[in-house]
Amino acid sequence: MKKILAIALALCMVLSLGAAAFADDDITLDVIICQYGPNTQEWFLGKGMNGTNFVDKFEAENPGIKLNLEVVSWNDVYTVVDTRIAAGQAPDILNIDVFANYANEGLLEPVSQWCPEELYNDFFPSFIDQSVIDGTVWAVPDLASARALFYNVDMFEEVGIEVPTTWAELEDASQAIIDFYDGEVYPWGIDMTTDEGQAAFAYYTWGNGGGFVDADGNWAVNSPENVEAIEYAIGLINKGYTNPSPATQTRYDLQDMFAAGKLAMVIAPNQLPTYVADKGGSINLATANIPANEGKSSSSVGVMDRVMAFKDESAPDQAKRDEAIGKFAEFFYNPENYVGWVSMEGFLPAVNSAVGALVEADPSFGAWLDVLGGCQFYPTAKAEWDQVKQGVIAAEQNALTGASVQAELDALQAALVG
Amino acid sequence: MNTLNSKRRWMPYLWLLPSIVLMAIFVVFPIAIVFKLSFSEISKSGIVGGFIGFKNFKDAIGLPAFKTVMVNTFWWVLSVVGLSTVIGFALAMVLNQKFHGRKIARAIVVFPWATSLVIQASVWNYIIKFEYGNLNNVLLNLGIIKQAINWRSSYTIEFIWECWVGIFVTIPFVTFCVLSGLQSIDASLYEAATVDGAGFWDKTWKITVPLVKPSLTVSTVLNIIYVFNSFPIIYTMTKGAPANKTDTLITYLYMLNFYDRKKGPATALSVIGFVILCICAGIYMVTVMRKEEEE
Repeated sequence: MKKILAIALALCMVLSLGAAAFADDDITLDVIICQYGPNTQEWFLGKGMNGTNFVDKFEAENPGIKLNLEVVSWNDVYTVVDTRIAAGQAPDILNIDVFANYANEGLLEPVSQWCPEELYNDFFPSFIDQSVIDGTVWAVPDLASARALFYNVDMFEEVGIEVPTTWAELEDASQAIIDFYDGEVYPWGIDMTTDEGQAAFAYYTWGNGGGFVDADGNWAVNSPENVEAIEYAIGLINKGYTNPSPATQTRYDLQDMFAAGKLAMVIAPNQLPTYVADKGGSINLATANIPANEGKSSSSVGVMDRVMAFKDESAPDQAKRDEAIGKFAEFFYNPENYVGWVSMEGFLPAVNSAVGALVEADPSFGAWLDVLGGCQFYPTAKAEWDQVKQGVIAAEQNALTGASVQAELDALQAALVG
Repeated sequence: MNTLNSKRRWMPYLWLLPSIVLMAIFVVFPIAIVFKLSFSEISKSGIVGGFIGFKNFKDAIGLPAFKTVMVNTFWWVLSVVGLSTVIGFALAMVLNQKFHGRKIARAIVVFPWATSLVIQASVWNYIIKFEYGNLNNVLLNLGIIKQAINWRSSYTIEFIWECWVGIFVTIPFVTFCVLSGLQSIDASLYEAATVDGAGFWDKTWKITVPLVKPSLTVSTVLNIIYVFNSFPIIYTMTKGAPANKTDTLITYLYMLNFYDRKKGPATALSVIGFVILCICAGIYMVTVMRKEEEE
C-alpha cells in the first residue's frame, strides 16, 4: 500500500513539473494588494466584481498572463513585503503607501518602463509629483482620500455656536461645549498615537504656515511655526478640550466616539459618513475646513496610496514582463473596473477618466474632488520620511508627558540634518 | 543478539530524529540567522549587507528609549512573575482543599488561560475605558463613585494596568503547576505533623513549600521566559505609547523593526534579549539544582 502511495505521489510531482514546462510561455505576475476593507478580498479573488473577480476577468481578457494575487492586511503588509524582499522574492506589483525606501535601494522599476503613455497622462499630475525622486517617477497613485473637519450639527445648534474656523474660535467653541454638556461631551478629537500621530502634526503645523519641510523642500520640523502649532495642540489637551488619552486613542476610537455622540468635532477622511452609518450611528454631521491660526490659510490633508513595480533580474524577457505589468495597470485603471473599486471602498479616484462616472453616481464626490485639488501631502518621497514620521509622533507623545516641544523638535531636526 | 543490541543503540536516535530536525529548522537555524544578522548591515527594506562588527549593538544601546525599555522590562518580568507566583500558589492551596463545587472553581481558574492574550488585553481595555468602560459603569451604578474615573490618566498607571493583565493571565498556569505538585503530597505527612502539634504556617513552610518546589521551579523558569517574551498585552493595550514609555524589550524591538525600520539595532536588541534570558534562566536553574543536591 505504502509503495503504491509513494509511486502515485512521485508521479504527481513529475506530472506537475511537466505541466509547468508546458505553460512556459505564460508569464505570471506576483501581485500584492492591500486590504482596504471587507470587500477587497471579494473584489480581487471572490465574487465581488459582478459575480466574477478581478483575477479571473483579467486572465480571461489577457491570455498568456497569469496573476498570483494576494490580498494582505495593512497590519501585515510591511512585514510581508520586507520578508519577501529579504528572501529575494519581491512581488512584481505592489500596492502600498510608501515607496521611497524601495526606490532608493534600487528595487523599483521606473514607471516610464511599464506604464502605457495614455494611462500615464490620465493620472492627476499633482499626485504623480508625490512619487518623484531625483526626477524619476517610481510609483503611480492607486486611490486617495482627503481629510476634513466633521462636526455634529445637532450639538452645535443645541449649544448655539458657529463652526470654528480659527484656533481662537476653536478654543471658545470647545469651552462652550464643555460648559453646555457639563463635560459629558469632548469638544475636539486628537490622535497622537503611533497609528497616525503624523497626521496631527500635519493638521496643526500646516494650519500655522509650517510643515515638515520648508519652501525649498528641506526638512524644517523645528520651525517656530511648528513649535507654536504643537504647543497649541498640547494646550488644547491640557485644557481638557479633547479626548483624554491622545497617545493611545486612535482615529478609529475618535470616530467611534463621534458616532456615539461623545465627541463634537473630529478630523477624519471622506469615508466617515459611511463609517458612522456602519456603526449604527445616526449623527447629523457636516464638514468644514480644518481650523487654522488667525491669518493663516487652512489646508486639507491628502492621503494617497500607490502602485509600483519591482525589478526582477531573473525574468527571461524583461520587455515582455514590462508589457504584462502595463496590461495589469491598464486593466486596473480601466473605468469599467476602477470606478467600481474606488466607490466600493469610498475612496477618491487618482485618474481623470474615472471622475465623470463617480460624480454621476454620487454628487457629493464633486465637493471632495475639489478638496483633493487643494490638499497637501506628506513628504513621502524623501528618504528620511520614516524617521520623521516616528520622530514627530515621539515628540508629540513626549510633549504630552511634559517635555518641551521646542527641545523635542530641535533634537529631531538635528538628527535629520546632522 | 548482536544485531538486537546495535538496534537498541540507534533506535532512540531514530525516534528522536523528527523532533531534532524540526528543532533545528525552526529553532536553532533562526537563532543562528539572527546572530548573524545582528553583526551585519541591514537596509531599511531588509536587504542584508556585509559584516559591520558591533555597530548594531552600539546603535541599539545608544537609542534614547533603551534605558526606559530595559527598566520597564525588569519591572514587567519581576512584577508579573513574582505576583502571579504568590497569588497562584495561594489559589492552588485553596483549590487543593475539599469543598463543594471544587471542580467548577478549578474550571473557572483555567478560563483566562484558555483565551488568547489579544482577546484578554482587548477586554481589559474595554473594562478600564474612561468613556464607556465596564469598571466605571459598575462602580457608578453601585454608587461607589460619583463621577467616572480616568483609569489611564498617566503612562505609569497604564503600565501598571498592563502588569496587572499580565499577572491575571499568568495565574492559571502557576496554579495548575503548583496544584499538580500539591496533589502528589502524601496526606499522611500532614496528619503526622498535626499529631506533632504543627500549625498551618508550619505545615505550609516545612512540608508544602519544600515538596512543591520542583513544580514551582519549572513554572518560574517557564514564566520568566514567557513573560519576558510576551508581546500581545502591551501591544494591544498601549503599543508602547507614549513615546516607548510603556514598551518592554519585545514590543520595542518589533516597533523598531517594522515601524522605525531600524532593522540592525532591532536584531541586536533581540540578541541582547536572548542572552539576558539565557543568563536569568541559567542562574535560576543552577541555584535551584545546587540546593536540591545539597538537600
